[in-house]
Amino acid sequence: MSDVLEQTELVESTMLDSPWVTIVWNDPVNLMNYVSWVFRSYFGFSRAEADVRMLQVHHDGRAVVAIGGREEMERHVEAMHDFGLWATLAKADA
Amino acid sequence: MKAFRRSRHQFVAVFSADEAGTLSLLASQLSDLLENRSSYDSDPALLRLLPDAYPDDAEASAEFRRFTADDLAVRKSANARRIVADLAPAIGVTSATVVKVDAQAAQAWVRSLTDIRLTIAARLGIETDDDVESGDAVVRDLYDWLGFVQGSLVECLDR
Repeated sequence: MSDVLEQTELVESTMLDSPWVTIVWNDPVNLMNYVSWVFRSYFGFSRAEADVRMLQVHHDGRAVVAIGGREEMERHVEAMHDFGLWATLAKADA
Repeated sequence: MKAFRRSRHQFVAVFSADEAGTLSLLASQLSDLLENRSSYDSDPALLRLLPDAYPDDAEASAEFRRFTADDLAVRKSANARRIVADLAPAIGVTSATVVKVDAQAAQAWVRSLTDIRLTIAARLGIETDDDVESGDAVVRDLYDWLGFVQGSLVECLDR
């Protein structure tokens, strides 16, 4: 019984700790140079890194741009909405 | 129109009175839309400006919106009004006007130009890359011109 409880607690704590991701989705409006600039100016990505993520958004329809706690990801999503990018958050393993 | 270029710490463009008037009107309409917003579901433009943060969870999206939408709308509206204020000297005059934007204002301009283009695209039903060539020709030209203005400003900011 105690084993089961411990296991349950372990599962719960793993779920609580499981990271979230910020996803930016492709849209036909935002300019490629704008998206790359947003990634650099907000996330501090290098030009190469920003361009890789921007092209991933463009070609794959979406890209993960950040991973971490839920509150932190919500702040990132709000910041992306401030820039007019289409961003959502989700559990990393979802 | 002469595209934005960087001049020391300023961003400089030239607008005809008609261009300034059109952009100012669009910015002012955006500001009104944000300040008088009510239902998100009925307006694709509002839904795109303040999108669902949790696409598969309506409740969590509503909760996120409760905490963020007011502040975002205030900031977006202020950005739009900054464009209106900066363009005021270029409206109702006979010759084209040099419009100078400082670094802080440029942040407002580049965001609001995005918001204006998102709003027009939502109204035109532009949802995928394939839809970009559709819609009314006059509005299409306007949409493309706004992209040109914004693109030139991004290039300046990017250096």
